[in-house]
Amino acid sequence: MVGVDYLLAGMVSMLTGLDRVALVQVMISRPLVAGPLTGWALGSPLVGLEIGMLLELLWLGRLPVGAAIPPDDTQVAVGATVLAASTGHFVGLDGMPLVILSVLIAIPLGKFGQVFDKLARHANDRLAVSGYDALMSGNTVKMERYHLFGLITFGLASLATALVIVLIGTLVLYSVAPALIGAVQEAGLSLQYSLILVGAAVLLGTTNVNRGISLFCTAFIGTLLVLWLR
Amino acid sequence: MHRPRLHWLTFLRIYLRSFLLQASWNFEKLQNLGFYYMILPGLRNIYGDDVPEDVRRRHTDYFNTHPYFAPLVAGTTLRLEAGSCVGEESSVDAETYKNMVMAPFAAMGDALFWGGARPLAALIGLLIASQGSLWAPVVFLLIFNLPHLFFRGSGLVLGYVQELRAIKTIQKCRLPDLAIRLKESTTILIGVLCAYLSFKGCEHQDLPAAWGFVVLPIVLLFAWLAHKGVSSLFLVLLTTSSLLLLALLF
Repeated sequence: MVGVDYLLAGMVSMLTGLDRVALVQVMISRPLVAGPLTGWALGSPLVGLEIGMLLELLWLGRLPVGAAIPPDDTQVAVGATVLAASTGHFVGLDGMPLVILSVLIAIPLGKFGQVFDKLARHANDRLAVSGYDALMSGNTVKMERYHLFGLITFGLASLATALVIVLIGTLVLYSVAPALIGAVQEAGLSLQYSLILVGAAVLLGTTNVNRGISLFCTAFIGTLLVLWLR
Repeated sequence: MHRPRLHWLTFLRIYLRSFLLQASWNFEKLQNLGFYYMILPGLRNIYGDDVPEDVRRRHTDYFNTHPYFAPLVAGTTLRLEAGSCVGEESSVDAETYKNMVMAPFAAMGDALFWGGARPLAALIGLLIASQGSLWAPVVFLLIFNLPHLFFRGSGLVLGYVQELRAIKTIQKCRLPDLAIRLKESTTILIGVLCAYLSFKGCEHQDLPAAWGFVVLPIVLLFAWLAHKGVSSLFLVLLTTSSLLLLALLF
């Protein structure tokens, strides 16, 4: 991977990060989109898609309500894709085992996203006060400028999260990969399916629907029977 | 004196600015500056470049609603402002209206878009992605955003045209019921996805498909744990460490 690729990945990180709260919110921040987008920027869109699939459901049920800040699954997807697309050659891994290791390392580091996001929002407290003062003194243009400065704080928070995930993730990958290569290769596909199933279970557990369990069980049993008997 | 009317270009500008509503989201007053930024072209249309201080003050106070419902609130707010500018009587003023609707609209939007439409679109995307198709993100974005973008635009126009009657129109749409239907559909799709993955897993391990039923109680157990507040991170670590241990031992 060359410098331009990292630059592109950084731009994707900021763009998708802004989509979480500050800009547009058309859901390019979802791992299912952010992963392939990062992968596309690095020339491996399918790697990004696999990572997006593993991560999409994990925190989908955590709603960004009011001041609640869910873990930054966007930057986890971006960071894991960068790890999987750039470190394989050095750790002697590729394909699904590398994807799974990258995701497993990136997931806990997503907690940093909450910290940086919180810092950005606190920085915006000051921007909001300055913007209000500017408006009350009749300077509307200045108020608009302060408001739009918020994009920079949110963008930097996203970039910082992705950087932490990539930097710490690379170090961890180098140290744990040799010990885990065998086990990850052995459990490869089962691990992949299990991670998606954990996400599905979490979403099921956090979606409050009457008759939810019966709907789920009926759909599960019906689908499995159709697949089995066809 | 006639009530000032908003030009269609002003509507377009407010619509586009609604995408920046949360640019300066902050803990103290949440979307306050963003709301003023969004309705500014409308206020300029009504009051001219020099918006009165009391108007500036009342629209930069605490504000927080669902971002997709904000254009609807903006539409009605601007209509009320246009009325009060020419001395029209209204049962509520713009500030009271905003304070009255922001929380219910926030709850409605969270349930409908974050809790209903988004998981449903994501699951459809995931089912496509499980076939290895790069169309999955495109389909996900289309399914989610066509209604989302339409809702934002129509909300703005509806709010302005119908003024306070827009609340009744929204009530008639029975959005909370729609959110429940979407969540039920999501639950069904979760079942389909889990069954499909179990089947593929059995196929990969050369096991009879009946073994796939073993997954059902495990998913239900994990769902119960998640419902009880156990974190996703813990469940991921538990699953992966168990599988890696099994792989190392056998």
